[in-house]
Order: sequence, then structure tokens, then C-alpha cells
Amino acid sequence: MAGVQVGKRIIGADAPVTVGWENIGRVEGGPIKQFVFTYFQPAMLLLAIGFWYYAPNWLAVASTAIAIRLGWTVLLLVLEWVNPRYSSWQLTWKEFATDAFYVALGMTFLRMVDSYVGDGAIIAAVQDAFDWDKFSWFTGLPLLVQAVLISMIFDFGQYWMHRAMHNWYPLWLTHAPHHYITQLNINKGAVGNPVELFLIGLGIGGFFDFLPRAFLLAGAIGMTVGIYQHINVRFNTPRWWRYIFNTTEHHSVHHSQDYEATRSNYSGTWIIWDRIFGTCVDGEAELLGMEGGRRMDIGETMVFPFREGWRSTKAALSRRLSGGAAVQPQLEPAE
Amino acid sequence: MSGASGTLSAPRTAMVGLSLPLIDHIWRVRGAVPIDPALSPEEAFARLDPLLRTPGTVLSTDGEALAYDKPNPSAQDKLATFTRGRLWIERAGSGAVLRFDLFSQALLMCFLAPLLFLGFAQAAVAINAWEASSPEAAEKAAKKDADKPKPVRKLNPVDEFLGAPAPEDPSKKKDEKKDKGRHSPDEGYYLAGFFALVYLAGRWLEPVLVRRRLRAALAGQPAT
Repeated sequence: MAGVQVGKRIIGADAPVTVGWENIGRVEGGPIKQFVFTYFQPAMLLLAIGFWYYAPNWLAVASTAIAIRLGWTVLLLVLEWVNPRYSSWQLTWKEFATDAFYVALGMTFLRMVDSYVGDGAIIAAVQDAFDWDKFSWFTGLPLLVQAVLISMIFDFGQYWMHRAMHNWYPLWLTHAPHHYITQLNINKGAVGNPVELFLIGLGIGGFFDFLPRAFLLAGAIGMTVGIYQHINVRFNTPRWWRYIFNTTEHHSVHHSQDYEATRSNYSGTWIIWDRIFGTCVDGEAELLGMEGGRRMDIGETMVFPFREGWRSTKAALSRRLSGGAAVQPQLEPAE
Repeated sequence: MSGASGTLSAPRTAMVGLSLPLIDHIWRVRGAVPIDPALSPEEAFARLDPLLRTPGTVLSTDGEALAYDKPNPSAQDKLATFTRGRLWIERAGSGAVLRFDLFSQALLMCFLAPLLFLGFAQAAVAINAWEASSPEAAEKAAKKDADKPKPVRKLNPVDEFLGAPAPEDPSKKKDEKKDKGRHSPDEGYYLAGFFALVYLAGRWLEPVLVRRRLRAALAGQPAT
């Protein structure tokens, strides 16, 4: 495969990747379908912002956000069914049940563990230790500015954590299971080893004091932008949107079976971070996964970082102890 | 082949001396689809070949039956839910049927999933009780009360102009909130119910789909 040169890199040499907006697929169907799948994303973003901006205080609470999130997930599942991007990514009962298991694990077990060791606990400990006042000036900013800043700062942290995961072997071991997904569906973001989900959840935004409403607005931006990175829906995404926001097209490139392609599009919500730091590749891919698309089951996902970490450590030790003679194959930090 | 061994007439038993006539309906699906009597067994199995012969599938013959094993099927494998199974042809008079006996680890795991989430819920209750009874808890509660009152935040003039509701006084709410502990068991209970529903949906849907796919393959139509 020849691949396409993007900057100094050749994208698509190992596996097919479509590079360039002019080459990606479009919504097929009549004018109403075209209209709906062109303006759905911006319309929902405006609706969510409008709701959280004006909702009375009794309604602007976390439980409302959870209820909306549930309904929103169901709506997006319907969209996947009505207008899939690739039929090869169609959700099956087994895939749905598997994805739901990871989501459920995040809502129960991981949340319990996170309350002791997550970023909230760490930030509280740091603040207690130094008796810092939070950055209280932040709450005086207009709500939408606060929300955009919270979202961008959190995403900035995610960008670098994610990029580090693709470049440093111990971190890669935690992230690798997520790259074994072979199709994108809306709950696939939760699929992965719990250690990774804990690491990616670490944010520096917590140091800022903010109004609860601004936090809910930031959540609404994540819910109506970041959610689309793992979705099997064909949209005619507006140009301005895909210039600043991450899309399913960007993220499918990141999940491609092509090694170079996976080293791009690290951000969660704001693809502008990738543009600034030189890792953005505009395009899309259908063939996803690792090892030629081998599916990783739940059991292996849970033990993978520890098993591979142990094997690599053992191999490194045996190399050192035997004076570098015994070279054993080890898993490459692929992306 | 532990899930699908046994002979045609005598169903498999999970353990010697232990018969599981009903309980294995949880993870096993048995049934039959009619086939064209003119079709020889070889021709019929040849038509099923594309359905079975996917990467990683091991095929073997077990008497007159065809057995398959898919240790790790891909997400889009048409038989991904049923990782092991046996298929054989039975002739009765002038007609014939393809019988199948399939094993699904996914259905079994989904059936057991509610237990796991009930376990998490119970763990949340137990940890809450344990933390409430520890001497540190009383200390912390006292410390919380001693916290300095939080200042009432004001909206930016831009937001006031646009009509966003003003933030509430954070000190007001304190009395209403009862300390229920660090963890909520509710999610665990909801999810146990959710996975029970997912199991029932799968136990109904997957046999329907497998029948449809076998019928289509035998009729020589592309698999759906």
C-alpha cells in the first residue's frame, strides 16, 4: 500500500485510510435526510447549551444530566440503526452487551475506586496540604467562557495523557486494549482496561473553582461533541465544526489498523489541540483494530497490561542477566 | 466441546450423575430448520460453509454431525454469540431438517452479570457502614461543620443581562443533605435489572437470528 503523505508522515501504508475531507463518504438519501444529518450535531449542541444556561436551579443538577445522558444514548443508538456509517460496524447484541458491561463497570466499581484515588481525591489532598485558595477569579467570568475553558483545559490534559500513552510503553500497555476495538459505536469509549480509564480521567480542571452551572455546561459540550468520536453514524459534518471539534472521522483514523494513522488525533473534544501540536490527520478509516483486527474479550482486557508488563519485565531482566544474548520478541508499543 | 458434546439421542450432561434438563436453556439453544429433502447432507453442509468457515473457526465431524468451535470470533461473525455448536441432518419420512445445538458463553455471562452488579451494590452498602462506624468519620463530620461558610457567588453581568438564573446560596442546602455515605448502591441495583433485561432480549433475539441465518444459508442466499 502506498499511503498518503501528511506532513512528514506516510498515512495508510499498512492499512487503508482515507485522507482528506474531499475523499470521505457523504450522507446518502433525500433532502430531509441530508438536512437532518448535516445540522443534527450543531443543533443538539445549541439545544444543550440553551437548556443548561437557562434551566432553573432546581433542574440544573447532576441527576438531570444523568437522565438526559441516558435518553441521549438511546437517541444515538437509534441514529446508528437508521443511518450507519459502515454496515461492518453494525451493533450486534453481543457487542451491545459487551459495551454495556464496560459502561456499567465505570458506573459502579470504577467510581467506587476513583473516589479514593481519582483526581478529585488527589486535588483535595494537594489543596489540603498547601492550603491554597482555589482560583476564585474564575467564577467571575461569563458562564460560557468558564464552560469552554473547563472543557478545553480538561481536554488539553487528556490530549497529553493520551499522547503519552501512545509513546511510553508502560502507559501504552494500559491503553492498548482500547485499540483492539474493531468498530466504533457510542459506548465503545468505555471499552478498555480500568487502569487506563482512571488515568485518562485525571484532569487539571479541578483546581479551578467554577459555578456549578458552568460545569454542567462544560459537560453538555462533552456530551454533544466528544460523544461523536465513537459513533457509527454518517454525518455531513459542517466544515467549521470539524475544524475545531473532534469527529468520528478523526477518531476512526486514530483507531485504524495503520500504525502511523493511530499516532494522530489524540484529543477528545477539541481537535484544535491536535492542529496546534501537529498531530491532526483529517480523514476516515473503516478497518480498525490491532493484530489484523483480533477482538479482545473482557477477560483479556482486564489482565492485558499486567500480563504484558510482566512478560516484558521478565524478558528485559533475562536479557540483562544473560548479557544481552537472549533476545525475546516483545510487544511493540504500536501506538 | 464441553458445551455441545453428547450424542444425537442422548443430550450432554454437564457432570456425570447430574442432569440439567432445564437449566442449560440459559446458555444453550437447540432447534431445527427445514431443508429441501433433495439436498444431500454434503450439499447442505457445503451451503453452511461460508457461515462457519470464518477466521479462527475449528471444524470437526462428530459422527454424522458437524461440530464447530470459534474460540474468539470477530465482532461481525454471524455466529459470534454461539462460540461452539453441532449441526446435523435428520430425515423423517420424505422431509428433512437441520438440527442445531449451540452453546453461548456470552448468554451465560450476561445471565450472571446481574449477580456481579448486585455484589457491587452490596459492597457499596458494606463500605458505607464500615466507614460510618470508624472513629475517623466522626472527626471528619465535625471538621466539615467547622468549615468556613462559602461565599455567595455572583453571575457575570453578561449572564445577568442574558437572563441566566443566579447561583444559589451554597450554605442554605446543607441541612437538607443527609450523609448517606460515600457510595450509592442504586447504580448496582439498576444495572443488575438492566442486564437481566439484556439477557432476556438476547435469549429471544439470538436464536431467532441464528434460525434466520441458517435458513438463508441453506436456501443459498447471502447471510444477513
